[in-house]
Parts: sequence; structure tokens; C-alpha cells
Amino acid sequence: MKFWKSITVALATSIALPAGMAMAQGKTSVTIVLPAGPDRLDPCETPRSVIGRIIKQNVVETLAELDYEKRTVLPRLAESWEQTSPTEWIFKLKKGVKFHDGAPFDAKSVIYSVERTVDPKLTCITRTKYFDGTNVTATEVDANTVKFTTKTPVPILPTLLAQMAISSPNTPKGEYTNKPIGTGPYKFDRWTQGENVVLVRDDTYWGAKPMIDKATYVWRSESSVAAAMVETGEADLAFTIAPQDATNKKTDKVYPNSDSAMFRLSVDVPPLNDVRVRKAINLAIDRKAFLGSIISDKAEIAMQQVGPSVLGFNPNLKPWKFDPEQAKALLKQAKADGVDVDREIRMIGRPGMFANSNEFVEATAEMLRQVGLKIKLDNLEMSQWLQMANKPFAADRQPNIFLTMHDNNSGDAAFTAFFKYHTDGRQSELHDPELDALIVQAGTEQGDKRAATYQEVFRRIYEDKVADVPLFHMVNYMRVGKRLDFSPTIANAVELQLAKLALK
Amino acid sequence: MGSFICKRSFQSLISLIVLVMLVFFLARLTGSPADLYLPQDASAAVRHDFNEQMGFNDPLYVQFVGFMVGLLHLDMGQSLQFSRPALDVVLQAFPTTLMLAAVTMPLVLLISIVTGSLAAYKPGGIFDRLASFISLLGAATPNFWVAIVGVLVFAVTLRLLPTSGTGTPLHWVLPVAVLTLRPTGVLVQVVRTSMMTALSAAYIKTARAKGVSSRAIVFVHALRNGLLPVITVASDQAAGIVNGAVIVETVFGFPGIGKLMIDSVLLRDFTVIQAAVLVTALAVFVINILVDITYALVDPRIRYN
Repeated sequence: MKFWKSITVALATSIALPAGMAMAQGKTSVTIVLPAGPDRLDPCETPRSVIGRIIKQNVVETLAELDYEKRTVLPRLAESWEQTSPTEWIFKLKKGVKFHDGAPFDAKSVIYSVERTVDPKLTCITRTKYFDGTNVTATEVDANTVKFTTKTPVPILPTLLAQMAISSPNTPKGEYTNKPIGTGPYKFDRWTQGENVVLVRDDTYWGAKPMIDKATYVWRSESSVAAAMVETGEADLAFTIAPQDATNKKTDKVYPNSDSAMFRLSVDVPPLNDVRVRKAINLAIDRKAFLGSIISDKAEIAMQQVGPSVLGFNPNLKPWKFDPEQAKALLKQAKADGVDVDREIRMIGRPGMFANSNEFVEATAEMLRQVGLKIKLDNLEMSQWLQMANKPFAADRQPNIFLTMHDNNSGDAAFTAFFKYHTDGRQSELHDPELDALIVQAGTEQGDKRAATYQEVFRRIYEDKVADVPLFHMVNYMRVGKRLDFSPTIANAVELQLAKLALK
Repeated sequence: MGSFICKRSFQSLISLIVLVMLVFFLARLTGSPADLYLPQDASAAVRHDFNEQMGFNDPLYVQFVGFMVGLLHLDMGQSLQFSRPALDVVLQAFPTTLMLAAVTMPLVLLISIVTGSLAAYKPGGIFDRLASFISLLGAATPNFWVAIVGVLVFAVTLRLLPTSGTGTPLHWVLPVAVLTLRPTGVLVQVVRTSMMTALSAAYIKTARAKGVSSRAIVFVHALRNGLLPVITVASDQAAGIVNGAVIVETVFGFPGIGKLMIDSVLLRDFTVIQAAVLVTALAVFVINILVDITYALVDPRIRYN
């Protein structure tokens, strides 16, 4: 009898609950659905979007902040900076700022954060991706001034520092933390494993007071469920939903996610070592046909590996025409000159690289077969895909057309050009001393000259070498609930500043 | 009985050790975690340091000895993803999975035994045909589809239930319903067949001749005899849920062990894979012992000496 009694009680309470549940958020608090939960919440890992979109600029802030629209860097926790020599920078810090635990934000705390982030005991992505090889050190000039010194000139140090979160000097060194303490407008409140993360507003914040006083982050990997949560009012914002779930024009907003899709070509392996074959491949793919069918109609056709928000983006490159006849003619010419265009070429995809990427490679493989190429399509799992993507390449490999997706949200082409196109780049198929020299030179320049040199790098790769098959600059969909007034931008690829959310 | 349990435990221990060894070596054949954890443009020095710190540069047998020594102290190593002890990560996720199984299996048994028995009482009757049709449908419908349609109908359209997540008992309704569907479908069929055999036995005729009520015939006389194959299949289904209800966990955001295991495999988080396999294998072993004991309770002819 006791059993039935408890069941009845449980049922009665649960029936009484749903009314309150659908409106779980208070008037000024929000619930945000992410596609995946965090694995840790360490400030030195903010460039990883699973972590950054929760804590970056909410809990922990950076000295500088990227302005994607103007391709420049703005001060945040720093007041100003100047470069005093090729390897030295002086940063003036904001005064009167405190960490959530009461510790003062000053030169010592910045030095502590730099040391903690570049500590080789931790594999923080801020170090491994941005500061590796810079040998950056910070020293105190006075309480509110820090001098940064690098081994070799780093002309984009402010851009790099836009990735480095400054956390309280009470954050442990040499081990990861899951309790981030920063200077941001929100304090970390709690993380219930597998369920949610809660941030609450810090009313002593140095900047303007944001409208939202509490944010609860939950995660659902199933996009249709995330979309449904916003629709039913269980959540206010779904960070990314699949294109097929973005069915409501009023709530579903599109934004560039800084990912660019491309086919890399093995330019050393015949027949892809012949530029006519590479041109033919570019001409044979009908990129426009994908927009609005299996790729979002808001995606943009790409001519290079970086998007318009990156310094070094070349706006003057012209898209390839879709011209299968010309492609066939080029292949015929090549064949007449003894190029083995009938050799089997492997096309490599990866399931889930982007929405419908399997369908995408199937369709492009067919387009290439239509002009007479022999394509064998393989979809590889992440680990195998990485083995093929990275050097050393197998000595006896087949010619391949290799689908990649590259994400440059750092605002500077340096993170693309070397890695993808320099002889020593880990995923580069190219080895051209002139191009290498140009890439290295671009890396040492600043401002307009830097942009112009990178633009020339991308022009050579695209027009002279035809080294690859640029495809699309991709987009994400965000579902924004009725209570919120917010339009996402490319910055939301890696962060979501709660202070920028307005309640209607 | 005591000696039987000891013997079974010993046998299971051997299979556990073999299993853990297999998982240890097979997982390491599938690629290097360094590529997955570090940025794609990480330098060779960074990759070398990472492998050095995580011990992946050591020869495999050294790694294995280290793992076995740790295991003796119940230390299964640190998770790469979470930077916490792998066993903690797994034990945090496992209760949710166990709860799902604990709520789902009694429901499955109750529904399928009642439905299957009633269907077997008049084979070919309307109830039997209906039960067969629905149970086959339940067994054949893909879980992920039912789950998503369930969310759309009950949460989005009717607004009766929450879409997903944990918290209130109402949050459990959809996941448990979805999880119940397939095992129930299978088990109704098993109960029906097994009961039909039992109901055609001679002792049932005797009972009828004595004037025993049909309810008592079905649920007392026949059921006890028809139950053995049902227990076998049900334990199999229960083991399946304990191994992780991946789809239900994924769709409804339940922090269980199934999704954890899949994610860990994709990320080559070896320590978590090992810990998760060990914990679920232990659970399955416990289920098997319980099933053996249940056999003995149900059927007096079975005795473990």
C-alpha cells in the first residue's frame, strides 16, 4: 500500500509542476541550450567553443577584444597599448577592477595568468594554438602597467591576447580548474555534471550593468529537441540548430560561423599535379546548386580559406564558373599531353563535418564523374581523417580530393596561411619557396601592408596555383526565443556575451 | 547456493580481466588521442609533450602494467576530456542509467506478462491479434524516431510534458515510455508463445477439470511454468539498458553512461572507455547472478549444488 501511496504523491506533485516548469526562467533570467556540454571550465581553454561560449567575456575577460566587422582589436581589460620595440609591448591596464573573489586586477594578476596559461604542464589551447613558439613573458612596470616580451617579433600580439583570458591569481597553477574566477559581468555559480552550468550577475562589475541577472546553460545534442525547447519556452536561446530545424523565420537567425569548407588536392600526385586537371575539377563543381538545397542559402561561395572577417581576406578574387564543357576540354588537352586523367582519384569526406556533408560529397563526386574523372568516394571517421589530413603523408598514396573544414576565428590570416600552405605547414600540400617567403614576410608585417601581403598569398594560391577547391563560408542557425532581443554575428562562433542579450 | 555464487563470481572475474585487456589494447589500435585533443596546427614539440605527459610515448606493455597496477588500487587513471579520475566520471553517469533501467524493466515485465498471458489464453482471438500487431510494431519501430515524434507531440504540440532534461518525475515520462517500447514488444511475443505451450499441458486440463477459475489457471498455474524463457529474455533486455540507453540519453539530455561511452570512444578517452566497460560489465555480471537465483526460485527443479 505504501508503494501506491508514494506513486500517487509523486504523480500529484508532478502534475502540479509543469505550469511552473514551462516558465522556468524568472523575469530577468535566461536558459540557453548548447549543442554539447563543457568538459571543463578552465579560463585557459576559452578558445574552444564548448568552453568559450559559456565563460568568455561573461566570467573571464581578456585584455583585448576582436572587432570582427572592422578586422581590428579593441581594448577590454587593457586601457591602451603600444609597441616599444619589435619584441616589446607595453599594456596599460584598467584601474579599480576586481576579480569575483576580491583579488585586485593588476599587473601581478596579469603576469600570473600569462604564466599559468603558457605552463607546459597544462595543454591549454590558448598556449598550444596561439602562444606556442612565441616564448611570451610578462613583467611588471608598475601596478597597472605590464610589459610583454617575445622571443621573435609578434606583430599581432594584441590579436593573440584577445584569446587569453585573465583569471584570478587564486586560480591554481599546473592543474585545471572547473571554477573559473574572473573580472567579467557574471560570476560562476555552479556546474552540475551532465545537467547544467549556472552563472549569476556580479553587481560590482566595472562596466555597464547587464539586463540579465542569471543564465542557466543546458545542452542537448539533438538539434530538434534544442529547437523545441525554445519553442515551448523551456529555454530562451538555442545556440546552434540544424538547418532542417530552422523552420521559423521569426526566431531562427543565421550567422557566419567562421568555418570554411574546401577540397584540398594532392598536387604532387598525378594526375592532380597537372594544373589543367585541377582547373577542370574547379569548373566541374556546381557550387551554386548546393546553396538552398543541402547547404544553407545564407552560406557564401568561397574563393579562399578565410572569411571576410579575417585580416588578409582578398575581396578581389572571382568565383569559378560552373562550366563542365570547359572542364572536359581541359581534361582532353591534358590527356593528349600524356597526363593519366583516367587514374582513380579518392574523394575523402567525413560524416558530420557539416550538416549534409555526406550528401555533399556524393553529389560532387557525381559532378566530377560527369566530366570524365574516375572518383572513388570514402567517408572516414575523425581519427582516420586526421591521419590523412596531417603530415607525414603516406608515400604510396592515391591522388586525393580531400574535404576539409577550417575555422579561423582569430581574426588574422597567420593561423591559416602557414598551417595550410607553407612547406612546413602540417596540412600543406604545397612546397613553393617563393610562396613560403611571402607567407613568412606577411607574418612579420603590420596593418595594411600585412593585409595586402596575405591577400597576395591567397591570390597566388587561388589563381596561379589552383592548389585547392574552395567551397563555402558556412553559417549556423541560432533560435532566439520571444523574450529576447538579439541578433547573432560571427563573434558568436566562439562566444555569447550575456551582456549583449536584451530582454524585450 | 553460496558456493555457486562464489564459483560464478570467479568465472566472471576471469572474463572481466580478459575483457578489460581486450578493451585496453583494441582502443589503442584506433589512433592517437594527441591529434584529437590538440589543435590541428599544434607543433611537433607540443604533440610530443602531450604524449609524454599522458604516457602515450611509453611502450604498450609499460602502459598496460601501469594500468593493471592502478586497477588494483581502483585507480583507473585520469580522463583526458574531463581531467578528472575516469572512474569518478563513470560513476557519476551510471546512477542515471541504473535508474532508467530500474524504472523501465518492471514496467516492461508488468505490461508484457499481462498482455502476453491474456493473448495466449485465446490464441487467434481479437485481443491476441491486436496484442501481436501492437507488440510487433513496438519491437520494430526505431527508438530515435519515436523519441523525436514523442517530443513534438507531447511537448511541442500538446504541451503536456517537458521536452527533455531531468528534474521532475514528469521529465521521466517520455524517456521511460520510449525505452519501454521495444523490450515490451519483444517480451509480449515471448510470453505469448511460452504461455501457449504451458496452457496446452496436461496439468492445465486437470486444473480445468477440477473447476479452477481461468484467472487462477493462467496467472498461477501456467505462468509459473511459462516464466523461465521470459526471465532469460528479460535479463538480456535489462543488460541492454544497463549498457547505456544511448538514443534516449542523447535525445532527452539524460546524463547516462551510454552517451558518455560513445563520446569517449570518438575522443579516444581510453581511461573512461576502460572504466565504463568495467562498470557495466560488473553490472551485467550481477544481473546474471540474480537471474540464476530467480530461476531457482521459480523452478524447484533447478538447484545449484
